Amino acid sequence: MQSMELPLVLFTVFSQAAIGLTLMRVVRTTADGTGSGDRDARREWGLIAGLMILGMLGSLFHLGHPLYAPTALKHLGTAWLSREVLFAGMFTGVTVLAVLVAGMTGRPWLAWLGTLLGLGVIVSAGMTYAPPALPALNNALPFAFFLTSAVVLGAGFGSWFAGEERAPLMARIFTTALVVGLVLNLAAPCVWLSGGTVMRMTGEAWLGSGFYWAHVAVLLACLGAVWKTRTVPAWLPVLALLGELAGRAGFFADTIHTAANMGGLY
Amino acid sequence: MKKQYAFLVDTERCIGCFTCAMACRNYYHQVEGVVWRQVHPLSEEIYPHRERAFLSLSCNHCENPACLNVCPVEAYTKREEDGVVVHHQEKCIGCGNCIRSCPYGAPKYNPVEKRAEKCSLCHERLDAGLDPACVQACPTDALQLVDLAEFERTNEVQYPAGYPRMEGLNPSTRFVLPKTPKMVRR
Repeated sequence: MQSMELPLVLFTVFSQAAIGLTLMRVVRTTADGTGSGDRDARREWGLIAGLMILGMLGSLFHLGHPLYAPTALKHLGTAWLSREVLFAGMFTGVTVLAVLVAGMTGRPWLAWLGTLLGLGVIVSAGMTYAPPALPALNNALPFAFFLTSAVVLGAGFGSWFAGEERAPLMARIFTTALVVGLVLNLAAPCVWLSGGTVMRMTGEAWLGSGFYWAHVAVLLACLGAVWKTRTVPAWLPVLALLGELAGRAGFFADTIHTAANMGGLY
Repeated sequence: MKKQYAFLVDTERCIGCFTCAMACRNYYHQVEGVVWRQVHPLSEEIYPHRERAFLSLSCNHCENPACLNVCPVEAYTKREEDGVVVHHQEKCIGCGNCIRSCPYGAPKYNPVEKRAEKCSLCHERLDAGLDPACVQACPTDALQLVDLAEFERTNEVQYPAGYPRMEGLNPSTRFVLPKTPKMVRR
């Protein structure tokens, strides 16, 4: 069992919610090519920027020396963490700019730029948290988990701003992302059980973890709520956010490091 | 091949006395809970005998170190002259990325300094023509310092059982495997 890394949990989940919201802005406003899905852009960009700033501030508590956080940009050549910090910083800048220039409708190019930078954050975070020391995650799974979280939270919170004509679209995307998230989360630990020793230990740790089952239960509950109401109720994204926070805490706490088995079979 | 200092761990000679780990601790006075060199007993699945065999491990000073590659503040360097991977603690911001990324668990978090730290192969002793503290202290010569560029033994292995195989990193530590113990019947 490693540390829960609460600051990283907050940073990754809040930033992915912000990125997902930006992505869903693009989807909503370009769904029929007229931009008619855009309403109350300033409030939406305000939520996006707020989530991102909260996440960035939260991440500082992870550092031993937060005042030197800007030096983390020094190693862009090989360190995915440096690239993640760069993309996250640029994405935050775009969200703040969007708040400043948005009226009731936003500037589409800012949403597109934000989406591109946001995907950069997700790719670089996916690489940062996929080191060889964590065999279960030394693959595309962190990226897949992060992208799924972004779409679940983006479509969920995006439904607050969608209006009646775009609400069914958000509900469909939300439901699809929930199903993908469930499949990923149920399949991954089962596959790990047939892997090497450390991978199997990770599978057992996840399947024995309250964080993991809380996450799965929330995904199922969200699916059930959407199925029953045929829409995304206003409270549902908050529940989904809590589920993602629990799942991410498990992601950090229950993934076994190779060094935990030194002297044993690998 | 360029000069590359490395630890040679002779598990046939190692008696698991922890003197290497204690020598490291005595020399650097790490804070409580921080251990740069650790002695790991091989599991019975790997060495199924009443006698035990051990892997004495610290930083492997890899050819392509994960810690160096992932550090966002360039707090790690690999010395040109001997391949030693050095952590410059004054640059470290304590993000823990090296700790998460090294498959051998070499970098540790110092909760007092709030920064990472690890074995630097006693590079200041090497520069003075001395052996690392752990090598000097080993009572059975089970732990030795070798230069891989001139290393001529043929019975050593790079990845013994009980040690993660990470070819991308190419760890420099080499191991001599333990033999089956002699059975004395009375």
